[in-house]
Amino acid sequence: MTNFDTTLRLGAMTLALAAPLAVATPAIAQEYPDPGQTLDWTIAFGPGGGNDIMARTIVDILNTYDLYPGDIAVENRAGGSGAVGWGYLFGQSGSGYGISTTSGSFVTTPLQADTPWEPADFTPVALLATDDLVLVVNGSSEIQNIDEFIAYAQANPITIAGTGTVNVDFIVPTLFAQAAGFEFEYVSFNSMADQTTALLSESVDAMVGNPGEILGLIDSGDLRALVYSGASTPAALEGVPTMGDVGHDIGVSMPRGLILPPDAPAEAQQFWIETMQRVVETPEWAAYIENNTLTPTVLYGEEFRTFLSNTQNGFAEVLRSVGAIQ
Amino acid sequence: MDIFSDLVMGLSIAITPINLLYLLIGAMVGMIVGVIPGFGPSAGLAILLPITFGMDPVGAIMMLAAIYYGSMYGGTITSILLNTPGESATVASTFDGYPLAKNGRAGPALVMQAVASFVGGTVGVILITILAPMFSQVSRSFGPPEYFLLAMMGMLTLLVMIGSNWKLGVISALIGFALGTVGVDLETGQGRYTFGSAELIGGIYFIPIAIGLFGLGELFYAFYSGMHRHGSGGLVQYSKEQRFWPTAEDYISTRWTMLRGSVLGFVVGVIPGAGATIASLMAYSTERSLSKHPERFGKGEMAGLVAPETANNAASSGAMIPLLTLGIPGSASTAVLLAAFLLWGLRPGPLFMEQNPEMAWGLIASMYLGNMVLLAISIFAIPLFVQIIKVPYRILGPCIVVICALGTFTVHASFIELYLMFAAGIVGFFMRLYGFSPAALVLALVLGPLAEEALRQTMTISRGSFGIFLDRPASVWIICVTAALLVLLPLLGRIGSGAGKAEKAGG
Repeated sequence: MTNFDTTLRLGAMTLALAAPLAVATPAIAQEYPDPGQTLDWTIAFGPGGGNDIMARTIVDILNTYDLYPGDIAVENRAGGSGAVGWGYLFGQSGSGYGISTTSGSFVTTPLQADTPWEPADFTPVALLATDDLVLVVNGSSEIQNIDEFIAYAQANPITIAGTGTVNVDFIVPTLFAQAAGFEFEYVSFNSMADQTTALLSESVDAMVGNPGEILGLIDSGDLRALVYSGASTPAALEGVPTMGDVGHDIGVSMPRGLILPPDAPAEAQQFWIETMQRVVETPEWAAYIENNTLTPTVLYGEEFRTFLSNTQNGFAEVLRSVGAIQ
Repeated sequence: MDIFSDLVMGLSIAITPINLLYLLIGAMVGMIVGVIPGFGPSAGLAILLPITFGMDPVGAIMMLAAIYYGSMYGGTITSILLNTPGESATVASTFDGYPLAKNGRAGPALVMQAVASFVGGTVGVILITILAPMFSQVSRSFGPPEYFLLAMMGMLTLLVMIGSNWKLGVISALIGFALGTVGVDLETGQGRYTFGSAELIGGIYFIPIAIGLFGLGELFYAFYSGMHRHGSGGLVQYSKEQRFWPTAEDYISTRWTMLRGSVLGFVVGVIPGAGATIASLMAYSTERSLSKHPERFGKGEMAGLVAPETANNAASSGAMIPLLTLGIPGSASTAVLLAAFLLWGLRPGPLFMEQNPEMAWGLIASMYLGNMVLLAISIFAIPLFVQIIKVPYRILGPCIVVICALGTFTVHASFIELYLMFAAGIVGFFMRLYGFSPAALVLALVLGPLAEEALRQTMTISRGSFGIFLDRPASVWIICVTAALLVLLPLLGRIGSGAGKAEKAGG
C-alpha cells in the first residue's frame, strides 16, 4: 500500500517540477513538432497483438491525413509483459519525441513485477477506447437474462471463468458480484480459447471475456450474452444491457490510450491531444473500434492520468484482498 | 455430394494465379520459419500478419495457413540433421531422426519425413472435409477435467521415454516438473520463483529449454568428443555410396504407422490446446509400444520418425476444426489466424462456414494444394540441406550456436530466455554424458503445468470432489482409453518382442 502511494506522490511531484522546467527552456518552447525530428514510436508487445494493431492503426491514420509532419519510426520492443517497451519510453524522460500506446498490462505489469515505472509516471495524452468484457452463459442454459443470472447466483453456488487472475477478467466479475450481492468461484484459464472451451463443454456456469473473439458463438446462439461492463454497448451486442443499466456500475476498464515519456514538454502533450481529437473523428478509427469491439471512451490529458490511477488503485485493492499481490 | 461441390467451389477459388502465388510464398516462408530453431510458426505468422492488411482476405488466409502447416515440414530438418528441434512439435522427431542421420541415413530420413508430413497433412485435410461438423462436437466436449485426464495420458508417454535407466529418467522428469512450477500461479495470481522479474511472469517457456538441452547439449558433446578436429562432417556421417532415396522397405514397414499417426494426430489436434506437440509425442510412444522392435527406437528406427511427423502435420490440420467451426484457436498459431479473421471484420464461429463459404472452402481446398507444394519443395530442397552436414564441424558448430540464440531471442525478445537456453545447453551436455533423459525433462515441463492447472480448475469447479471425472461422458471415455492402453500396450509389446526374438532365433 505504502509503496504504491509513494509512487503516486512522486509522480505528482515530478509533474509539479516539470511545468516550470518546460517554460524555462526556450529551445523546447519552439515549434512542436520539429519536422526534422523522427518520432520514436514504441510498441511494448510483439506484432499481431491488440496493442500492435492499435498503434499501427493510429500511425496509418496519421500518415493518411498528414497529421504529423516528421518521420515516424515504429518499433516493437516486446518483453516482460510490456515492461521492456514502457521501460524504454520511461528512459526517454523529458523528450517529446517518444510515444507509446497502452493496454491492460500497462496497469497490471507494475503490480506483478518490480518495474521502475508506474502508469501515472508517464505524460498522459489520451484515453481513446476501453476494452470491456461481456458476461456470457452457455446457449443451452436456462438463464435468459442478467436478472435471472443474479437471482440464480444468489441461490446457487456458481463458477465464472476468465483469463488469468491479475487481470480485468477477475476484477470485473468480483466488483460486479459485490455490487449485485452474489458470490461465485472464479476459475482462471490461460487464454480466451481455453475458457470458451470450458464453457461450451458445460464445465463452468459462465465466463467473462472480450466480445470480439466470441461474437460468432453469440450470433449462432451457442453462447448467450447477459451484461456488458463498458459504458455503452457496442453495436454488435445490441440489446445487451451494461452493468450501469442494471444498476451495478463498476467503473473499471482496460485502458487503450496514448502516452509520452515522463515530463514531456507541455507543447508536445498539447499537440498530441489536439491531434488525437482529429484521429478519433476519422472513419478509419470508427472501423477499428467496431472491428475490435472496443468501447469508444475518450479522455484527454490529466483526466487520463486520473483514470489510470483509479484503475490501478481499484485493481490493487481487489487483488490485495484476495492475496494475489502484496 | 454437397461436400464435393463445396470442395470444387473451393478449388476454383484457390486455383487463380495470384492465389497460387500467395500459397507458394506462404509454403516457402513456412519452411524457413520452421527450419530456424525457436522461431516457430506463431512468431512467423505474427510478423507477417501486418503485410496482409491490404491483401484480398481469401489469398491472405491461404498464405497465412500455408505458413502455419508449412512450418511443420521445415521444423524436422534441423531435428534430423542437428538434433535441434525447429519448433516444439518436432521435438519427438529428434528421437529417431537424428540417430538415423548419424547412421548415415540422413537422405532417406529427410525424404521420409517429407512424405510422412504430406500423408499426415493430407489425411488431416480429408478428415476436415468430411468430418468437420462431427469433430466440432469433440472440441466442444473438452473441459478442464478432460484436459487433466489427457495430460495424464500424456504422462504414459513419459513412462516410455524414461526407458531402461529409470532412476536417471525419473530425476530428469522431476527437474522438468520443477521448472514447470515457475511463473505466476494461474489460480491465485501469486508469483512462484519469479524473483520480481517481469520476464518470468509467464513461466519458463519450453522452447529455449528444448533447444538448449537437445541442440546445444549435443553440440557441446560433439566438441567434447573432439568432433571439431575432423576434416568434414560432424556427428552425422554422409557418404556418397549410401542411398539418398528411402528403400521400398522404409515405405512398406511404416505404412500403418503413417495411418495411425495421421488419425491420432488429427484427433488430438481437434482438441483445442492439446496441439501438435502432444500429438507427436503420443504418436511416438504409441508406435514404440506397438512395434515388434521397441528396442530399436531411439537408435534410428524409421517408424520412430514417421509417427511423430505424420501426427504433427495431421494435428495442425485438425486444429483448423475448432477454428473454423467454433472460432476457438487451439494453439498460438491458430490464435494469430483468428486475429487475422477478426481484422478483416469476419466473425469466426459456428455460422462461419455457412456465411463465408468461399473463404472456408477456399482455405480447405488450398490446404490440399499447399501440402503438394510443400512435398515438392521439401524433395527439391533436401539435397541442399544435406550439404549442411558436409560443412566442417568447427565451422558448423558456432553457426548452430548463433542460429539457436537468434531463434530463441526472436520469439519473446527475452534475455532471460537466452540465458536459460545456454544454461540448458550445459545441463544437456552433462545429461548426455551421464545418461539422463532430456526428453523426459522437456515432456514433464510441457505436461506438468498443463496437468496442474487443469486439476486445480477441475477441483474449483467440482468443489474438491473427484466424482466429476465419472460424471462427464467425455472423461469416462478418456479413462477407459487410458486404462486400455495401460493394460494392452505392455501385453502387445511382450507378444511383439517375443515374436522378434523368435525371428532372430530362427534366422
